[in-house]
Amino acid sequence: MKPLLEVRALTIDVPKGEGWMRVVDGVDFSIGAGERVALVGESGSGKSMTARALMRLDDALRIGGAIRFAGEEVLGCTEAEMRALRGSGIGMVFQDPMASLDPFMRVGDQVAEVLRIRGVGRAEAHARAVAILAELGVRDAASRSGAYPHEFSGGMRQRVVLAMALVAGPKLLVADEPTTALDARIQQQVLDLIDDAAADRGLGVLLITHNLGIVAGFADRVLVMYSGRIVEEGPVEQIFAAPAHPYTRGLIAAVPRADMRVDRLPPIDGAPPSPARRPSGCAFHPRCPVRLPVCVMTAPQLRPSGGGSVACHLAAAEEAMA
Amino acid sequence: MFDSPAADPALPNRFAPVRAAAPLVRFFARRIGLSVLTLLGLVTLAFAMTKFIPGDEAQVAAGPDAGPDQVEAMRARLGLDAPAIVQYLRFIWRLLHGDLGTSIVTYQPVLRDLERVLPSTLELVAITMVLNLVIAIPVATIAAAQGGRGLDALTRIAAAIAAGLPVFWVALMLQFLLGTLARVLPISGQRGFGVTVPNWTGMRTLDALLSGNPSAFLDASLYLVLPAATLALHFSSQLFRALRASLELAAASDFIAPVKAKGASTARILWRHALPNALPPVITLAGTQIADMLGAAVLVEAVFARQGVGAYLANAVAQKDTFAVIGTVLFVGAMVCVVNLLVDAILLATDPRLRAAELARGGRQ
Ligand SMILES: Nc1ncnc2c1ncn2[C@@H]1O[C@H](COP(=O)(O)OP(=O)(O)OP(=O)(O)O)[C@@H](O)[C@H]1O
Ligand code: SF4
Ligand SMILES: [Mg+2]
Repeated sequence: MKPLLEVRALTIDVPKGEGWMRVVDGVDFSIGAGERVALVGESGSGKSMTARALMRLDDALRIGGAIRFAGEEVLGCTEAEMRALRGSGIGMVFQDPMASLDPFMRVGDQVAEVLRIRGVGRAEAHARAVAILAELGVRDAASRSGAYPHEFSGGMRQRVVLAMALVAGPKLLVADEPTTALDARIQQQVLDLIDDAAADRGLGVLLITHNLGIVAGFADRVLVMYSGRIVEEGPVEQIFAAPAHPYTRGLIAAVPRADMRVDRLPPIDGAPPSPARRPSGCAFHPRCPVRLPVCVMTAPQLRPSGGGSVACHLAAAEEAMA
Repeated sequence: MFDSPAADPALPNRFAPVRAAAPLVRFFARRIGLSVLTLLGLVTLAFAMTKFIPGDEAQVAAGPDAGPDQVEAMRARLGLDAPAIVQYLRFIWRLLHGDLGTSIVTYQPVLRDLERVLPSTLELVAITMVLNLVIAIPVATIAAAQGGRGLDALTRIAAAIAAGLPVFWVALMLQFLLGTLARVLPISGQRGFGVTVPNWTGMRTLDALLSGNPSAFLDASLYLVLPAATLALHFSSQLFRALRASLELAAASDFIAPVKAKGASTARILWRHALPNALPPVITLAGTQIADMLGAAVLVEAVFARQGVGAYLANAVAQKDTFAVIGTVLFVGAMVCVVNLLVDAILLATDPRLRAAELARGGRQ
């Protein structure tokens, strides 16, 4: 069976001066219907760019490769086809709920707008908006739907944003760091909410986060992104139990655990490179504790390993010897 | 289980009874009180300044042929022999009773004079404001949809040029090109020969409409075209530029991508989301434009020989017609105050955050 979403050799260039700067460099992944995939990586690795490209939210970018959603080539869609896809094919939740709602529009209208755009009548759209807000835990949804975003807390706003993403019945939910901007005590609630809503609807989910701690209980599969490329991909148990890529190992070692004092976390030394100054060979080599001479020269290809894939010369060598 | 709204530290009063209208009433009562004080200050200033205009009011009132005795008699009759402070207090006392004094030039109560000249200017300014909004808002929004290309680039350049042209010069050029050369529009005055309408509001277009006289309406409108176009060109290019910049900011807001992700068209994003967010500063600007429009209307009325506040005020200053000057200043000032109140009301009605802030402020007092 064909996967719900299939991304092949995705490249994204942002305009820079006279030319272009490549921020996503050949990304491949797929998401099956109802499958949960987490996309993790440090800040600036290109996670948001990848997510936004799925819906072609940014006009100024140059996107290459292939994005097939439900059998259709997204990059070949007309603007009208894209409008139909956004909202009813793919729904998206953004990082900062304080900034992702229109301050001048009542929240109920903002949710109902997704349906109004699709020709649903005013009364029905409003009723469905209230129903989904209630389902997502907005109390007194009927009266609260007449309130403006500034009258809601961050957690409540993220429920509204989630309602906007879900109300038109998409098959894939893209959540770009949906809990990062929230109070710690609300993060888990919102994540559970996404979990339940996706399970009820059988949605495929692409959860973007730089917090591996929330991935284990949520995702089926994990994509690890570094400097615009997928460096490791695999089932969530394998990624946590036996990470193959040194970068993934570093990320997992940095996840705070109950049995570990916070100040003893071993961080990955150094900072991720900017796309403008991506190192030669393996982009991770300047920070890699186990790099080989070949790593500086040639970029490792993503190749199958265990139940997943990894792009690392050392991992490939280890596999060959085993 | 869910985050309780009451426990949210960021918004402690979210469920406080802020929906009551009392704070809004208080808000406007405060604004109106402030306006009255402003007007009192304005009148006082105008009174003081007329005392510095050279010339002798008693002489003007008595007429050019009057002898010294007659002038002195007139001075006593007008109360001009009293100290300035007494004159001022007397004036304020009468003002409080709705009496603006009598013009020493027209021998009419100033209020009667203003009834005659003010409507024509108000008509011109009102038409200008309507044109101003009706041109600037759609053009800026449609231009924004083009994002720097085509119409957007063109209108930007045109507006930059138009906003820089002196109003007086534009008036003369339009008068010369469309009136004198092309002879398509009347170039001076405000009504064609023999066209009469009842004087109900003093605004000829409105009176013509109310009396059901389409040809008189057309006549009055034609006379308004050039003066109103002159003013509208200047002010709408100003407003256009402000709105275009404001739209640019709004369109770059973080909430635009989520709207796009809902499947909204570019047009919907602009008209339903960017525009409402972009309007408040532009409404404020339109309010301040009213005062400038009144000033510019004086120039334009002079060029197109319209009987309005401009001619009346110029004459009053030249003749040292104290009460006429003060009365005019008071009315123009009152109009600006009313417009400011209106702007506040519109902003409160359209901006939910502002309304909430004002309600919260009122609630604390
Ligand atoms: N509009 C833009 N113009 C130019 N460069 C951009 C733009 N937006 C993002 N970038 C660059 O593209 C790269 C990828 O950005 P992206 O937002 O996808 O990262 P991310 O993985 O989502 O990081 P974060 O965890 O901080 O959200 C970054 O290096 C960023 O600097
Ligand atoms: S390819 Fe080399 S540098 Fe890159 S992660 Fe593997 S070992 Fe380290
Ligand atoms: Mg991001």
